[in-house]
Amino acid sequence: MATLQLTRLKKRYPNGFIALHEVDLSVAEGELIVIVGPSGCGKSTLLRTLAGLESISDGELTINGRRVNEMEPAERDIAMVFQNYALYPHMSVAGNMGYALKNRGVPKDEIRHRVAATAELLGLGELLERRPRQLSGGQRQRVAMGRAIVREPQVFLFDEPLSNLDAKLRVQMRLEIRRLQKRLGVTSVYVTHDQVEAMTLADRLVVMNGGRVEQCGTPMALYAQPATRFVASFLGSPAMNFLPVTTHQGCVVLPNGTQLALPVDIPEGRAATLGVRPEHLVEATSTQDAGVTLDVTVEMLEPLGADMLAYTRLPGLEEWLVVRLDGAHAASEGQRLSLAFSPTHCHVFDADGMRAMTERAGAKERAVQ
Amino acid sequence: MRYQRLGLDLVSHLLLAAGCGLFFLPVWLAFTASTHSMSDLYTHIAPLWIGDVGLGNYAQLLSESVSGLNTGMLRLLFNSLVMATGIAAGKIVISVLAAYAIVFFRFPLRRLCFWLIFITLMLPVEVRILPTYEVVANLHMLDSYSGLILPLIASATATFLLRQFYLTIPPELVEAARIDGAGPWRFLKDILLPLSKTNLAALFVIMFIYGWNQYLWPLLVTTDASYMTVVVSLKRMLTTGDALVPWQDVTATAILAMGPPILVILLLQRYFVKGLVDAEK
Repeated sequence: MATLQLTRLKKRYPNGFIALHEVDLSVAEGELIVIVGPSGCGKSTLLRTLAGLESISDGELTINGRRVNEMEPAERDIAMVFQNYALYPHMSVAGNMGYALKNRGVPKDEIRHRVAATAELLGLGELLERRPRQLSGGQRQRVAMGRAIVREPQVFLFDEPLSNLDAKLRVQMRLEIRRLQKRLGVTSVYVTHDQVEAMTLADRLVVMNGGRVEQCGTPMALYAQPATRFVASFLGSPAMNFLPVTTHQGCVVLPNGTQLALPVDIPEGRAATLGVRPEHLVEATSTQDAGVTLDVTVEMLEPLGADMLAYTRLPGLEEWLVVRLDGAHAASEGQRLSLAFSPTHCHVFDADGMRAMTERAGAKERAVQ
Repeated sequence: MRYQRLGLDLVSHLLLAAGCGLFFLPVWLAFTASTHSMSDLYTHIAPLWIGDVGLGNYAQLLSESVSGLNTGMLRLLFNSLVMATGIAAGKIVISVLAAYAIVFFRFPLRRLCFWLIFITLMLPVEVRILPTYEVVANLHMLDSYSGLILPLIASATATFLLRQFYLTIPPELVEAARIDGAGPWRFLKDILLPLSKTNLAALFVIMFIYGWNQYLWPLLVTTDASYMTVVVSLKRMLTTGDALVPWQDVTATAILAMGPPILVILLLQRYFVKGLVDAEK
């Protein structure tokens, strides 16, 4: 059980490429932090610097208050689960799980005891003598987890551990990881590019982009109040709709001329972006305010069962406007729809992509860079 | 792809059998010749069947000292065995370490080191034989096992093959080992060597036969018959001056000289055939 503190952590490669720009993050005891971002955003690099597989160029990394910048991976008392599991192919499951303990000089009896206990926890009891290649993908995944758990490390590091599994198994293992992490209470850092995984697993979510932390907070906080346009577009599927707007007398002006009174913090006449999530666009009924409606044409439909996604076009706008309709909706392609949305569901971002709303304190809070 | 056609099977098996027979024929002729007496060999055409001396020539060869050499056949075989094993083992040790360094460690001029090793492929013993002899002579290693073995140990081939294999090891495996607290030696011992077991077995066989078949170098570096190898002695038996060549001894020696390499192949084949059949990864 440990706390993890990253202070202005920086990673510069010898060729001058800066993979991490002064990342600050503190992880509390037993917390599960998920780092999410598009490929190349530095999330894996960050994890690898935590593990000690990459050196730290600048800044400080402490585990339980102890500076570990210069320590070898083994000395940091961490365990890592790799995307391709990285099991030793020539060792049995028991051998794989016990290898770290063996290297530490733990007595044989104790190794056997601890491996057996961990295998029991993961349902691997029957498989201890098998070789990795005799196991299914899910079983290998479990062994990789077991190898991490059996050492009782201070910190677990997960590097996209589920991306090699099929969709069904991924959901199952996701729940399992969550359950195990809560049960063992080990501080964990989990890297993924899958936002569903990120949202469901995280105690706190860190969204990264271009080697910087865009925003950090609970999944729902990030979803409800994205601090930047990037976070808004990254979380949620299908992604948030963005409309180019201008400001006029304290209102935002939609492309169709509709004015919307929103507490925005943008100088008069400037361009901005209005974001609305697909699930917050509803078909306008006569009882609603006539003020905030958009008349669109349905161009494509994607029936998903419970929902139906409608890709609609607003006259004069390049991009689709995606609407989440009820699965049983009778919309057809080419049909005209009148969409309404509530101002409380609007997100406004300035030209730099920063949230520009004044309504709630802390909404402008962006992770310290 | 596998075709299930009786006619095709039959033809291909016949072809295989004919090929095997063709390759086996010289060995068989050598064996039959070794079972005849010298006078038989010089009065008859090449015999196709076992002669009346049976294994008598072998018994004589192994018990008495080889004519004109003052050394027993067993000693010659032992010398060859020491040399071939030494060369094979030495090559493997050096190549494993060289390839390990080149693939897994970052050090200045790493690429240069690799290419330097690589171009030694163009410098086999025969090309550098004079300077090598000079070095060995200056180090007083003429007529010694170390003189026979050491100059033949450095091997670009084995280094290159092992490097190619090491490059296929996923980097995550190295990282997992680092996190598991395995230092460089432990990684080599616990992970890399077990994984390359089959490659090493195959290399050992190839290098053993290479060492066993060496002729020119042992001929140069040994003058003392007690360090002579069996391959060199074969040639000696053929140069008898005015006397008749003892073909029954020559063929018997040839048959004996084939034994150890065959034994090595038989002992190690299960490793490398297994390695070819089911990949361990």
